[in-house]
Amino acid sequence: MAAPSTPLKNTVKGYATYMGREGHYAFLLHRLTGLGVLLFLTIHILDTATVYFYPSLYEHAIELYRATPFMLGEIGLLFAVIYHGVNGLRIAVTDMWMPKRWAIEKQRKAVRLTLVVAILLWTPGALVMLYNLLLHNFGVDLLAMLPFGK
Amino acid sequence: MIMASKASVKPSFETTAWRFMRYSGILLIPLAWFHVYLQDVIVGVHAIDIDYVAVRLADTGWVIYNFLLLGFAFAHGMYGLRQVMFDLVHKESTRRVLSILMLIFWLVVTAIGATALAMGARPELVQ
Ligand code: HEM
Ligand code: HEM
Ligand code: HEM
Repeated sequence: MAAPSTPLKNTVKGYATYMGREGHYAFLLHRLTGLGVLLFLTIHILDTATVYFYPSLYEHAIELYRATPFMLGEIGLLFAVIYHGVNGLRIAVTDMWMPKRWAIEKQRKAVRLTLVVAILLWTPGALVMLYNLLLHNFGVDLLAMLPFGK
Repeated sequence: MIMASKASVKPSFETTAWRFMRYSGILLIPLAWFHVYLQDVIVGVHAIDIDYVAVRLADTGWVIYNFLLLGFAFAHGMYGLRQVMFDLVHKESTRRVLSILMLIFWLVVTAIGATALAMGARPELVQ
């Protein structure tokens, strides 16, 4: 006999199998980035609060953020905050000021546009962060390696 | 005759919250983006230490900015989490218990963050 279905199972199954194309991917990415940023923010509020509650601990917390895996995570965090914002703007503006644009073809185009805009806004920051990561953690100075020097 | 589609009904909590998600989201674009670009890209985690934070939290303008960020980003995120929970949990009593737990968690973490912002950093206590 099949295991009984629960709202949790149904929802997760829906997430995985629903084929809404662009709208579906945008929904999943919006949810994932929203929850990811919230997880970071919760930890971030608490570690920042140590500057008042437990000042000696703050340096250790910041030390963590400087580690290579964390810095890679921060590049991802930057994308999450930007993508979630651009896509949230699409949802909010369509809902509140142009609900007529909730039509499949228009939204398919809009969803692709949000991804392009998010990548454009993210790339410069991501490059600077990658430069900082290589410089501080690996002693590689990409700017000094350019032919025209620094 | 077809009546006007806009009836004046007192908006429910959920309607107000739905609007709040949209307006706070739009406000968070300048607030959160500028914060992350400033701290993580321009300044960078290698240049951040408690003295840096102490200087910034001595500036009323940045304290107000951080209060807005704390208030809007965390409320928006926690309400969003409640939405996700409602999608996953359909039993009314479980929803209520989890909503209350989330409300308490939100209040406690916000209070901790707000206290630190209001009191400022204490680099003199670092040993
Ligand atoms: C019989 C069931 C369903 C029908 C007929 C249906 C139909 C549609 C259609 C026509 C669209 C627009 C597609 C597009 O933008 O490409 C859409 C979008 C969407 N659907 Fe469904 N859907 C169904 C079930 C679901 C389920 C189970 C979920 C959630 C797990 C879901 C979540 C969404 C979301 C999030 C969007 C995109 C809205 C946005 O762009 O923000 N739908 N749906
Ligand atoms: C940067 C500007 C932001 C904008 C424009 C924005 C916009 C939105 C909008 C419009 C929704 C509602 C989606 C819907 O009802 O379909 C939403 C949901 C959500 N947001 Fe944001 N938001 C922003 C920043 C943030 C931040 C900083 C966090 C984390 C603390 C966050 C976490 C969430 C979560 C967890 C949800 C619920 C996701 C879901 O229901 O799938 N958002 N956001
Ligand atoms: C890794 C990237 C980030 C870095 C390096 C960073 C850095 C900092 C620093 C140094 C502070 C201390 C106060 C100040 O200097 O003004 C701070 C506070 C704060 N940040 Fe960030 N931040 C980052 C990402 C974010 C994100 C993504 C959000 C929210 C969407 C956020 C929200 C906040 C809030 C609400 C405070 C005030 C915390 C409190 O109440 O004590 N930060 N951040």
